[in-house]
Amino acid sequence: MPAETHALLSIDQHLALTQTLYREARLLDEERYADWLELLADDVHYRMPLTARRFRADRSAALAEGPGYVFDDDKGRLGLRVQRLESGLVWAEDPRNRVRRIVSNVEIYRAETDGEATVHSVIEVHRSRIDAQQRRLTAGRTDLWRLEGGSWRLVQRLIQFDHPVVIDSNLNVFF
Amino acid sequence: MTDYAGLVSAAGAMQRRQMYADPAVYEQELERIFGRCWLFLVHESQIPQPGDFFRTFMGEDDVLVVRQKDRSIKAFLNTCTHRGNRLCRADRGNAKAFACNYHGWAFGADGALVNVPLEKDAYFSEIDKSRFGLVEVEQVASYKGLVFGCFDRGAPSLADYLGDMKWYLDVWLDALPGGSVLLGEAQKVEIPTNWKLPVENVCGDGYHLGWAHAGAMKAVQSMDFSGFTVGNASVDLEGGLSIAGLNGHSLLATLDGVSGYSFYPDNGDIMRWLEANRPTVIERLGRVRGEKFWGSQLNFTIFPNLQFLPGLNWFRVYHPKGPGRIEQWTWAMAEQAMPEAIKQRILDNQLLTFGPAGLFDNDDGDNLAACTEQSRGWRTRQMDVYTNMAQGHSGRRPGLPGDIAVGVVSEHNQRYFYRRWQEHMAAADWRAVPQYNLNSLHAAEGLAHAG
Ligand code: FES
Ligand SMILES: [Fe+2]
Repeated sequence: MPAETHALLSIDQHLALTQTLYREARLLDEERYADWLELLADDVHYRMPLTARRFRADRSAALAEGPGYVFDDDKGRLGLRVQRLESGLVWAEDPRNRVRRIVSNVEIYRAETDGEATVHSVIEVHRSRIDAQQRRLTAGRTDLWRLEGGSWRLVQRLIQFDHPVVIDSNLNVFF
Repeated sequence: MTDYAGLVSAAGAMQRRQMYADPAVYEQELERIFGRCWLFLVHESQIPQPGDFFRTFMGEDDVLVVRQKDRSIKAFLNTCTHRGNRLCRADRGNAKAFACNYHGWAFGADGALVNVPLEKDAYFSEIDKSRFGLVEVEQVASYKGLVFGCFDRGAPSLADYLGDMKWYLDVWLDALPGGSVLLGEAQKVEIPTNWKLPVENVCGDGYHLGWAHAGAMKAVQSMDFSGFTVGNASVDLEGGLSIAGLNGHSLLATLDGVSGYSFYPDNGDIMRWLEANRPTVIERLGRVRGEKFWGSQLNFTIFPNLQFLPGLNWFRVYHPKGPGRIEQWTWAMAEQAMPEAIKQRILDNQLLTFGPAGLFDNDDGDNLAACTEQSRGWRTRQMDVYTNMAQGHSGRRPGLPGDIAVGVVSEHNQRYFYRRWQEHMAAADWRAVPQYNLNSLHAAEGLAHAG
């Protein structure tokens, strides 16, 4: 992730990027995955690391081959996930689950490279599933967005998932 | 205690649904299955240094596994002996001592109570600290890197408990010098299911693969998934075996020596590594295991709740959290001797396919949850479910331990799993639990080593 800066974008760029974040959430809520993929840069890196609860003072060695992740995807792998969801053969999503994403605490700063912006946000994913099942998943996000041909594209996303134990029987959702 | 024999038919081919949701059945399982069997604790590679600890569960008991100064491994109930508080709240790490949050009692890595605040002033130095050490798990033992614990002093040794399954286990644990390793953090997912359902799903249910995972298989159809077709239209059983009759442990195996890894995208480097190392494996394990099993897609089940799949490379333990809920913990698994680049590929592929957001894993949760939920209704719980596929179509093969059915789409292994479950539930203690390593290696010694 790029170094933290606190320089703001121009007001119209800031506004356009905020709108893009909200639009992204709606595209996903509406399962418009092809449109969502359009919002992603070709070199996108979409990542959610796995975590363990460790003592603050703990200095023990990292585990073999790093800690692992839930998502560590490039555009090709995200494409595979979308292909699966759109195959019409994912029974867990049929009948469809209602999903609402709430994006909040949005902070947008100019990144080091011209035409790029760092975005911090909080996302809350509400899933209304079979019968009366309700699931609420939360995460913090740090993104890098890039202005390409007049519109903002997601280049990097680091998702800090708040649940060391995933409290749902699947994670067929993007954050 | 109730004799729950009626919940499983004699041959294991029918189960009463009550066994998936009844709290009384579950209570008896905690005592007679989880309180009695050897349960997986940790892989030695996860706690390499003295003071390294790992927090896990044996049934619903919270357990702390700690590497000792002399490098041996001990396991303790993770509860303070003063007023019962949870002693350690971290998942893993390294510690010289564990101090309780409540009143500050502190325990050494060996479980001894080493410090009691206000020992002089409030206890008048009258407390005998040696009486309040952490409670140790009765037996802890390893088999080639896998550490198990057992609450029952009357249990057979770990070696006898695993029995002839060890011969198959070595295909992962002892194929190459250095043995096995688990990669990365535990991937933890909570699923509203009875613990037996994911076990049966992996121990024998090749049947669901083409159907439940149709969406995932469609997305990755460029990869070769061992002859299964999208939508269960057909299956190529050629070269696969379902192996059970080994004290409740079992194995599903393809026999081509490559099909686990042939599912990986761009697998040239992995295939070359397999073939370059195969002569060593054959030298160590013989031709049958070196040529047919090593590199194949294998589903291992160690009764009651440990499963791992060399080939797809995930390693998993299910912790029961009540009759209708589990925590499923998964790691990626590899061989120590693999180059770092291949280990990284394994981690990548495992998390993409069977991690918390895994393309295949995500299809299983709702099925397992619903089979549990549909066992709760007053009328529904009196119904049966069936594992009668290919019943009577099994036999013995020279040199391969166990009772063996052809193909990996068969309910052969589930039948033995439920039969073992019933034997434990009905037995008052270990002396009443039958031991069977069918077609034992010892009886066929010459053949086993002829290959
Ligand atoms: S409960 Fe642990 S010190 Fe009192
Ligand atoms: Fe499955």
